[in-house]
Amino acid sequence: MLGTSIKTKVLGVDIGCERTLFAVVDVRGNILAKDEIRMDTVPGVNEFVSVLCERMQSLVDEHGGYENIRSLGISAPSGNYMTGNIENSGNLPWKGQIPLAAMMRDRLGLAVCVANDAHARAMGEWTYGCAHGMKDFIFLMLGYGLGSCLFSNGHVHLGANGFAGEIGHCCVYAHGRQCSCGSLGCLESYCASRGVIQTAQELMDENTCPSLMRGVENLTPEMITDFCEQGDELAIEVYRKTGFILGIGMANYASVINPEAIIIGGGIAGAGHWLIDPANESFEQHVFHNISNKVKIIPSVLSDEERNVLGASALAWDVKEYSLFK
Amino acid sequence: MKNRVVGVDISVKRTTMAIVDVRGNIIAKEKFATNDYSNANEYVAALSEKIIMLTEANGGYDKIRSIGMSAPSANYLTGCIENAANLPWKGVIPLAAMLRDMMGMAVALANDAHVAALGEYTYGVAHGMQNFAVITLGHGIGSCLFSDGQVHIGAEGFAGEVGHICVEHEGRQCGCGRRGCLEAYCAHNGIIRTAEELLAESDKDSLMRSLPEITPRTIVDCCEKGDELAIEVYRQTGVRLGIAIAGLASLMDPEAIIFTAGISNAGKWLFDPAYDAFERHVFHNIKGHVKFLRSSLERELDVLGASALAWGIKEYSLFK
Repeated sequence: MLGTSIKTKVLGVDIGCERTLFAVVDVRGNILAKDEIRMDTVPGVNEFVSVLCERMQSLVDEHGGYENIRSLGISAPSGNYMTGNIENSGNLPWKGQIPLAAMMRDRLGLAVCVANDAHARAMGEWTYGCAHGMKDFIFLMLGYGLGSCLFSNGHVHLGANGFAGEIGHCCVYAHGRQCSCGSLGCLESYCASRGVIQTAQELMDENTCPSLMRGVENLTPEMITDFCEQGDELAIEVYRKTGFILGIGMANYASVINPEAIIIGGGIAGAGHWLIDPANESFEQHVFHNISNKVKIIPSVLSDEERNVLGASALAWDVKEYSLFK
Repeated sequence: MKNRVVGVDISVKRTTMAIVDVRGNIIAKEKFATNDYSNANEYVAALSEKIIMLTEANGGYDKIRSIGMSAPSANYLTGCIENAANLPWKGVIPLAAMLRDMMGMAVALANDAHVAALGEYTYGVAHGMQNFAVITLGHGIGSCLFSDGQVHIGAEGFAGEVGHICVEHEGRQCGCGRRGCLEAYCAHNGIIRTAEELLAESDKDSLMRSLPEITPRTIVDCCEKGDELAIEVYRQTGVRLGIAIAGLASLMDPEAIIFTAGISNAGKWLFDPAYDAFERHVFHNIKGHVKFLRSSLERELDVLGASALAWGIKEYSLFK
């Protein structure tokens, strides 16, 4: 029999600490419909799964029906692709091991896969974004934490237990800052949000020069970027220092991996050239000579909203189709 | 069927070649001095002649399927030795193509860490593992990563330069031109330098002071005799190595890290502090999951690895 149609749509879900986005996406990455759930409205994981399934169901019913949906991809902090679980997430309210893929599959009767946000977003960049056509690249997720995903020869490197990519917890200074993971001197404790803020605080304490950052309550990396734009020298120095350390971390990663490109996404990447220029300079200064000037450092091209669900939808195409509704 | 391959290991001092069968039995083996040939053309001519003589004397050339070679600074993707710092041949040498032309059969070339990893994967301690790293600790520090049962080569074939990750900003000068590379602390010369620095800083008695020549091996001898300063040399080396390897493991989540080459003979003096530092710095999800292993093949690793490499390429022969 000559088949004439396949299921042409998938569902992509991006779970964040504040809200969860979900969307119906077609083969070419067009977002046909999307919606969101605020996380503070659903306290427990069981309620979350029920609400999510219900809301997805109605979204799907309005847009082409369930029989056109092939599978579901979920991006979640601390998601493990191999087990389909959310494992000991530091930032989500659900503790321990949450078998999210199994829970969703039971309710929906569809194939479901779960991956961490860096993995999902790397898939998004590879399928629809600036890594399209690359076989070896690194996606850095620089936001509240610092994660990464490595593509090796056209496939995602997961590691033995699915934990690969923890660049945030590589040591850059042997007796450096205390990191929330318990170790000292982790890259994350310098380059992720809290690290950037701490650097700003330290610089303000060390110097007496005036700065727009002084006296600001709840300083955020975004505010520091704004101050850079206004020409505040201490703010520029914050990102120069951050970029310098990030450059060392990326150079060490690249010397071992020899990637075509390092793509930087996540909130802190919003600092743009204030961060990327010093990072690039420090990268070239520290990377092995065979690959210096060969690795492109690119900010992610997909918009934040798109990337979240597109990555998860790209993941969905990756799982074997399975459906109770043939 | 052709059921044998030739594995060739080119090191700075000598070249070893062996005929190896499907199960990794070494049928015959021979060595000659690499630095007798200052010119790569002469070297390839001599090598091919020796391979033919060895194979003809041991079951015949027509039994050989292909040739695998291990060489410093070799690039698997291009089949070339690229700017080897220690070999007499400078620039880019298309060694695989040169030997293929002479021999009329398929030839593969890879660097020593890649070949060591293949050897361990096929015949050694990494048999059955999908994700692991091999670290070569010798005059330099190299590595090879297996990702899902495949070697991670990198975009241009240069992956694995763990010796040149920066462990100390503005640290020691490294042979590569940068500063603070791991290799400048934990490879052969780095260990000697650490010993010299410790001896200069301290006025403690040490057996190392009376050594005719300080080498990583003689420092181990002093450790065995309970020399505190010698133990401190390897403790410092181990801590640095452990932290760097912890970074690698946090990125790769391997099943095991396998150590080979000369410095790994330091045994517990190096690996106890290294493992301790590793466990302190590796990401908590991975803590306790990564095995530190010694290569189980050591002496034969290079030619066995090269033979495993030979099986990995497509058969091609002018002599059907």
